[in-house]
Amino acid sequence: MASLASSKKTSLPKYFWPLLALTLLAVGLSIYRLFVGLGPTTNMNDHYPWGIWITIDLFIIPIAGAAFTISLISFFFGYDDYRAVLRPAIVAGFLGYLIVGILLILDIGRWNQFYNIFVPGFINLHSFLEEISLCVTLYMGILTLEILPILLENTKYEKNIKWIESGIFVIAGTGILLSTLHQSSLGSLFLLMSHKLHPLWYTPALPLLFFLQAGYTGLGATAIATTIILRAKNRPMDRKFIKRIGQAMGINLLLYACLKVGDWMGAGEIPMLLKPDAFGWIAWLEFTIGILIPLAILFTKFVGHSEGPFWAGVFALMGTFINRLVITWIGLAEPASVTYLPSWMETMITIGFIAGGYLAFERIVFYFKLLPEKRVSNN
Amino acid sequence: MTISRRDFLKVAGLTASASVLPNFSVKATNRKTHGEQVAMLYDATMCVGCNACTNACRQWNNTQSETDQRNVYDAPVELSADTWTMIQLYQSGDESSFVKRQCMHCLDPACVSGCPVGALQKSNEGPVTYDPNKCIGCRYCMYTCPFHIPRFEWDEVIPVVAKCTFCNDRIVDGKGPACAERCPTGALIWGTRDDLLAEAETRLDQDGGRYVNKIYGKNDAGGTSVLYLSGVEFEKLGFEDVGVEPIPMLSEGTANIVLPGIVLGGPFVLGLIRWVSKRGGWEESWPV
Repeated sequence: MASLASSKKTSLPKYFWPLLALTLLAVGLSIYRLFVGLGPTTNMNDHYPWGIWITIDLFIIPIAGAAFTISLISFFFGYDDYRAVLRPAIVAGFLGYLIVGILLILDIGRWNQFYNIFVPGFINLHSFLEEISLCVTLYMGILTLEILPILLENTKYEKNIKWIESGIFVIAGTGILLSTLHQSSLGSLFLLMSHKLHPLWYTPALPLLFFLQAGYTGLGATAIATTIILRAKNRPMDRKFIKRIGQAMGINLLLYACLKVGDWMGAGEIPMLLKPDAFGWIAWLEFTIGILIPLAILFTKFVGHSEGPFWAGVFALMGTFINRLVITWIGLAEPASVTYLPSWMETMITIGFIAGGYLAFERIVFYFKLLPEKRVSNN
Repeated sequence: MTISRRDFLKVAGLTASASVLPNFSVKATNRKTHGEQVAMLYDATMCVGCNACTNACRQWNNTQSETDQRNVYDAPVELSADTWTMIQLYQSGDESSFVKRQCMHCLDPACVSGCPVGALQKSNEGPVTYDPNKCIGCRYCMYTCPFHIPRFEWDEVIPVVAKCTFCNDRIVDGKGPACAERCPTGALIWGTRDDLLAEAETRLDQDGGRYVNKIYGKNDAGGTSVLYLSGVEFEKLGFEDVGVEPIPMLSEGTANIVLPGIVLGGPFVLGLIRWVSKRGGWEESWPV
């Protein structure tokens, strides 16, 4: 343990205390919200029953999907070089889902009986929301199993969890299936809202679109995180590997782009894209930032540049954010006397827990062995 | 009838006798058809906007009045956690009409399909009911409802979802919904859905000039238990075109394919991927 930390044993980053303060503020505000209710703390209302927390949840989940994408590529497709980023992906995934879990508990009104989603007599398997609840909970368990060997490595408890090692095939496989289910089901949630969601975003193909989006967003996040970590640790950049992440992301993104454009054409919605109203502009913005620019990087020589996949990832993530923002909020807007903007408490709780997640990730990178000492070569 | 094929085979195998089979189908259904379930018919051309229905609703369900600035009238502007039904007025030029708002009690409700914990149910009698002991307050129902009906007690610490219950607690006693029993002009009546549809058709036939030629709720969103007749086009009264397909059809159809598909087919596909792309690695230990 702490082999990477040996050079700078005690150093806390400069931003440690400010981020910790933000996290603690979020914890305090969360307790306050639980005991006074949603009305006094948030700006959600009968016309906007979901707010920034849901938007952020739907944005974090595809990013945290990196854990499942990298597991799939390294364990099942057998690309061993991807194992180099498996540990950071699992840690990031675990923290991402933890933030989502916290925000969801804060979000549901009757949080005192949240466990009803596990009561067999209540479970409604026709509901994609129930399916997501069950899958995310089970997947949290899977990620815990996957993260334990990393955290307990070289401690006296290591021998107690040997069984995780021997069962990793089943554990990782189960995690991949659970992820496939809930990443796509996030899109299926909106199949019941065909009459509410803006037609440029609503399509019966939403489950498939969300699934593919989780694929390239997770890979984009991996490219970003790997570049940052390697740079911070002053390691030589393994350009070939980062390029290969970029190429995998590119294939995924291309599939998504084809499906998206095909769906627009099939539904005869191209004229809506050419109308100069707000939604037409947003659709173009999302498509340009989230799809065209990353494709332009990933399918040209820029993919081989040491920062190419990094920037493709940044743009793709921005696109995913716009996409999830429209689908959970702007695209659901109805003509009403009231509108919605997050309250300062909603905002600070969101920022605080993301800050906390980042801090936790930074400390885990610092104290534990997340990157291999030497390169793992392909074959 | 909710005997699964597996139970069926189990029983059939045990007894190995064809004579028991009819027993199952006998006790199978006391499930009412949609036509036998309770419904309401609101005829906007007969409504005088007296708000007796709103008050009857408040009295029976113990909801708070929403007064105007002088604290005089009960003057809700739209449905809320405290106002489960109300009369609105549409006016444009010479044209005007009252319109009653409340839960439409869909025959195949999107809220029931989406509710993760089964807090919302379409009861055998017809009303769409809500059970706060199951509800987790996720508010998915508020998004799935094509009629924008469910409301939330935002100011409560542990809030409930609020909407018209069709006075289910009266229905089970054989009484009608409070609003329909109070209506003095007969604009709002209740009965079985089949009877009310027949009544609405008769009115359209006999007095066609009075109405636009449509019974809203007959087929809309797959049919609803609250039916509307109007002299003004329904879009003007705020009724959107929600299609005639039940809203949950696509979602439940997808769930029925995706869920078993991934659970059963997923391991097979993963194994196949692993087998085809055998590139080594499993033998090495975890963590990597």
